[in-house]
This record gives sequence, structure tokens and C-alpha cells, in this order.
Amino acid sequence: MRPAEQPVIADEPNTSDVVDLDTPWIVLVWNDPINLMSYVTFVLQKLFGYSNEKATELMLDVHEKGRAVVANGSRERAELDVYRLHDHGLWATMQQDS
Amino acid sequence: MRRRKQSGPVDVTPDGMFVLNLADDERQSFNHFLDELESLLNEETDDGRLRRLFPTAYHNDALHDAEYQRLMRSELLQSRRTAIDISRRVLDSHDALSEGDLMQFMQTINSLRLVLGTMLDVSENDEAQEIINDDDPNAPQIHLYAYLGWLLECVVDALQNSLD
Repeated sequence: MRPAEQPVIADEPNTSDVVDLDTPWIVLVWNDPINLMSYVTFVLQKLFGYSNEKATELMLDVHEKGRAVVANGSRERAELDVYRLHDHGLWATMQQDS
Repeated sequence: MRRRKQSGPVDVTPDGMFVLNLADDERQSFNHFLDELESLLNEETDDGRLRRLFPTAYHNDALHDAEYQRLMRSELLQSRRTAIDISRRVLDSHDALSEGDLMQFMQTINSLRLVLGTMLDVSENDEAQEIINDDDPNAPQIHLYAYLGWLLECVVDALQNSLD
């Protein structure tokens, strides 16, 4: 015999663990005193396929405003982009867009 | 004065390859710097001098950053070692180089600058370092930092020209 079915009490979902999948992640490059401006421009062109004009604009944003958003997308995509930027010696971080 | 065969350290060939015009003594010195970088990498990667080679990925999020470091740090380390190996081949050869090999050499020059710049505590206001005071105890490192900056600029120029 099967025991009588008991109602199942589910744990309350912990909302702080839920990642908002709809909110994209952004990849930021931060200004640093060591990397050359020409180098940063070239790396942004090479990694993201940006035109020289677009990459120069982003580099100048990094230089003058301290940081610039260079890419966005899913968390996995952003993490890969951060890795590729780190591999090229750029100071990159990622965060969920607010 | 540095001896050079050509006016610049990097030439682009008509078929899109690259030629490195460095004198033999420059190549030897560079190999020595590669040895030093490699031995630093063989020690602890959390050595302060390597801070810029292994930056944080998540701002104000220690938990996710620890996860990123756990997964990616060894990849990053291996990639830097591979770039050093390819750079040694680049320096040992006088043949024309592919774009990929020159890119690896470029990344290694940049890694050396990041370590040296960290050790010298270079800041935004240090552009005056172009005027080097030879009485400064750090003068040899500052000269090297300036040399690497010049060489990197030339390599980037050559690669940029091939992109255009």
C-alpha cells in the first residue's frame, strides 16, 4: 500500500539567487596609465570588429571619462569578452546593466 | 645609438607579412626580458607585480570574481606562456612573420610594459618620463619602459596599416 499522499511544501524561492536573464551584461574598459592609446584602439578593432573611428571614439571615452562600455550581451558572452580583453592586457570588468 | 638595418623596427611586406628589423643585441636583450617575465609567471600569479596581467573581472562582486579567477586564471596564464614561446621564435627567426605571430609578440611586449609600469608605479602624470634623469636609481627600468613603448607603437602601426 502506498501511504496517503501528503501535500508537498515547497521551499520559498530565494529571489536574491535569481538572475534576471532579460537584463544584459555590459563589458567596461577602464582607463589605466600604462596602455598606449594606439594599442587600445587596435585591440578594440581586432576583438570586436569595430571601425577605426568607432574604436578611437571608445578609446577616447576610456581615456577622458575613465571608462567606456565596449560590448554587451549575455553573461557568458560578456565573460568571454572580458577574458579576451584581459588576455590583451586591458583592464576590463563586467556588470549587469542597470 | 641603436643599430638598425631599416628606418623602422617593423616593415610590412607586399604580401601582408611582417619583417622585424631588430639588431642581434636587441633580440638577445629581449630574450632575456622574456626569461624574466616567464620566471615571474612561474611564481605566484598573485604577485603584486603581475596585478595588471590578472585583473578582476567583476566590480564589487567578490563571489563572482572568485569564480571567474578560478575558471579563467589558468587559461590566462597558459595564453601568456604561449605568447612568450611564440615571441622567442619571432626573435630567433629572421624570416617574414604572420600577422598572428606578430600579434602574439605585440601582446608580450604589452605584458612586459604592464609589469614594468606597475613596478615603476607609472601614473597618468608621468608623461614627462620621456625626459629621463640618469641619476634616478630606476633609470634603467624607465629607459626600458620607454623603449618597449616605442617598439609597441611601431608594431601596432604596422598591424594597423595591414588592417586599413
